[in-house]
Amino acid sequence: MISKLFRPVIEGFKGVVRHGAMSLSSIFSVLMSLILISLMMIFTFNVRQFTQGLEHSIQIAVTVDYNHESAEEEDRISLAIKDIEGVSTVTYSSKADELEYYINSVANDEAKALFEPYREEGKNPMHDAFYVEVEDGSKLEQITEQIKGIPGVEEVEYGGASATKLVSALNTVRLIGAGLTLALSLLALFLIANTINTTIENRADELAIMRNVGAKNSFIRNPFLIEGIIIGVLGALVPMAATYFGYQYLYRVSGGHLVSDMFVLLDPDPFAKYLCLALLGVGVLVGLLGSYISVTRRLRWKR
Amino acid sequence: MIECTNVYKRYKNGVNALYNINLKIDQGEFVYIIGRTGAGKSTLIKLLNGEEVPTKGTVKVVGIDVGRLSHSKVPIYRRNIGVVFQDYRLLQQNTVFENIAYALEVIGMDKNIIRSRVRGVLNLVGLDDKGGAFPGELSGGQQQRVAIARAIANRPKVLIADEPTGNLDPTVSDEIMTVLERINKAYGTTIVMVTHDTNVVNKHRKRTIALEYGHIKADLPGGGYILDDK
Repeated sequence: MISKLFRPVIEGFKGVVRHGAMSLSSIFSVLMSLILISLMMIFTFNVRQFTQGLEHSIQIAVTVDYNHESAEEEDRISLAIKDIEGVSTVTYSSKADELEYYINSVANDEAKALFEPYREEGKNPMHDAFYVEVEDGSKLEQITEQIKGIPGVEEVEYGGASATKLVSALNTVRLIGAGLTLALSLLALFLIANTINTTIENRADELAIMRNVGAKNSFIRNPFLIEGIIIGVLGALVPMAATYFGYQYLYRVSGGHLVSDMFVLLDPDPFAKYLCLALLGVGVLVGLLGSYISVTRRLRWKR
Repeated sequence: MIECTNVYKRYKNGVNALYNINLKIDQGEFVYIIGRTGAGKSTLIKLLNGEEVPTKGTVKVVGIDVGRLSHSKVPIYRRNIGVVFQDYRLLQQNTVFENIAYALEVIGMDKNIIRSRVRGVLNLVGLDDKGGAFPGELSGGQQQRVAIARAIANRPKVLIADEPTGNLDPTVSDEIMTVLERINKAYGTTIVMVTHDTNVVNKHRKRTIALEYGHIKADLPGGGYILDDK
């Protein structure tokens, strides 16, 4: 009973070994395709990381009218902002904080001294403020407009058109990256399926003989599926290793960021591990599906 | 055992391969089907094998109406008959032992029984020491004996041999005939053998059915090659 269960597995391994040259060509095509997919995934996920980070750092600054600086009023304004769809966080900054921030942002010490008197009670010209972060950078303008409509809001600023332009440019890069990954993955899958298809085409006689001696389709098909899985796993090994060690090396050499601190790379742990698992999954799935489709097509003959 | 009643076969391309074939082959008989190229021999084999269905009439083998079998039942049906082809059709990447065992594995036979059964048929066809060889390492005659061993491994009631000596020289053909006759006697297997081989038909006399242009031209109980092949 157990030997019958393991039969397809044993036959699958035998098939890979005995059709060595064809197996190698399939494994190589899986290998090349997965390396391409890996590179595109590293690019896409990191660009996503950059854009999300940047989007996050773009804030809407909301200043409160002097006449609405009571705690109740500011609670009301804060709640009203939080209620707007797409707002992720609202951070309060008192006028004292604002002054402090402003003074610190001035580089010249003499100039700094000029602002010191404003620290005194009642002399601070700054407004209380809220800093609003949004979930989706493309909605900055729309949310800004909505905040402007809240009573008690003095002024709303979000960096203007340049901020939206940056976000939209980043989104385009992200979309292109995702599109490329998808297109390349499809191309890779087609390539792999085609190679597997050719190897099975070469074994059409084998399939016909099996049918002639009375083998049912599932009996013929199962070892081929195992072969597909083995080819997928073997083909994924090199890309997995290259991704795991290569990405760690890139991260180490670049110090975890590219060009400037703004472009922070994803931490290899767990990113590289997940990527390896994804490559293994894609390899296995493609090997399995490629074999299934190719064999099934050839078993669908008349009788 | 085999019964064809008013069988017609017309292919989709318009070729009429068989006309009104009526024949009956009893259990344990050894019958030759002879005929020139295009006479309908291969079509008849395909009908018996379940590869084709008759356009009209019924083909019954071991009591099964082959033409009415659903696609999924065809593999099960084939386990009742053994087929041997001119080109041997062995799995080239598998050993002789594995080739024969495959026909038994498909019916879910126990591994130990398979082992003894394969040894038995290898002995019957005279290839006891070739179990571990690959088909490519064997001569044509030996490969055909492996194909015969595979065909009879699960003790089918009917063995269909399509030009089994077609690629072999007269001495080897004789050896193959001896093996087939041995099987016919030992197991009582009904054997239907399609052949062109005048020498074989005349030397190993059996009931001979001659096909011409899709018709049965003659059915000779005493045998003999009656067609003028020139």
